Amino acid sequence: MIALLRRHASLMVIAAIGAAAAAALWQKRGSGAVFEALTHAWDLFLFIAPSLLAGLLLAGALRQLISPGALARWMGADSGWFGLVVATLAGALTPGGPMAAFPLVLVLAGAGADRGALVAYILSWGLNGFQRLLIYEVPLLGPEFTIMRVLVTAWMPIIAGWGARRIPIAWEPTR
Amino acid sequence: MTGAQAFLWVLALVAMGLCARRGAIPARKAVAETGQSLAKILPLFAVALPMAAFLAELVPADAASAWIGPESGLSGIAVGAVAGGFMPGGPFVTFPLVIAFAKAGAGVPQMTALVTGWAIYGIHRIITWEYPVLGWRFVALRMLAGLPLPILAGVLAELIDVVVPITLGRP
Repeated sequence: MIALLRRHASLMVIAAIGAAAAAALWQKRGSGAVFEALTHAWDLFLFIAPSLLAGLLLAGALRQLISPGALARWMGADSGWFGLVVATLAGALTPGGPMAAFPLVLVLAGAGADRGALVAYILSWGLNGFQRLLIYEVPLLGPEFTIMRVLVTAWMPIIAGWGARRIPIAWEPTR
Repeated sequence: MTGAQAFLWVLALVAMGLCARRGAIPARKAVAETGQSLAKILPLFAVALPMAAFLAELVPADAASAWIGPESGLSGIAVGAVAGGFMPGGPFVTFPLVIAFAKAGAGVPQMTALVTGWAIYGIHRIITWEYPVLGWRFVALRMLAGLPLPILAGVLAELIDVVVPITLGRP
């Protein structure tokens, strides 16, 4: 039940905001404006659809080809900057959404990655995961903005991982 | 089809080819997983894209410029970073909203801070995934280590935008 709620929580929040916005728009500018907005949304969907399908196919294939646990032996507590760089690259190359990435942190921890590398890994996935960049950010926000933002943030997980190794919060995987 | 989309299809087909070379089972698994992901994502799109479109119509044309416009500087970057943390969902929600904000006059450095803030502070993802899977200690560790980064990203984007003006939006 909790898992079901968790899976659909964002769907419900978005639907509620959307319904409120539609009602407000109807009130302000009539049904024509609502219909026009829906047409814009449909156009946007048609524009993203080819990338979406290709991105999901790529993610599905990569999950069959790569085993992330094999990388964890380079991400231990003594791995230094090299381990943080490996973790940052692995994070950016991890396909899929949070339902895939967060459980992978546990897999990597079990295979020997330390907390600094894990922080670098998950930050890099969140900031610059290739699947999100290619499916959403490039089509929606444009290549110029995306490339600039990636250049500005690509190195950040390495620094944050270095910092996390010095923050005195011990963390052990719970499961 | 744009260049980026064509590139993505080439990558996807090469990866599928590699799967198929490993045998019929990995290839079938990959296709099945694609179908499952699609089934998960399409309902989200069905509500998120109309929501963003309604909001874009509701927000007046220059509403964002005072708070997060190109002239808003460091305070606008901070507002963007914090607002990013409160985006109510994944990229299918956040990026259409960024387009709506840009239409309403938001600046490129401020939107860089917003996207980075969403990636690092994103509260919806902490509540639904990070805390249940990894626990509060990990959340605290990652938040402390990443705390200044969205602001820093906005400041760096501002420095770049001054030298090379960046456009935000579809090619």
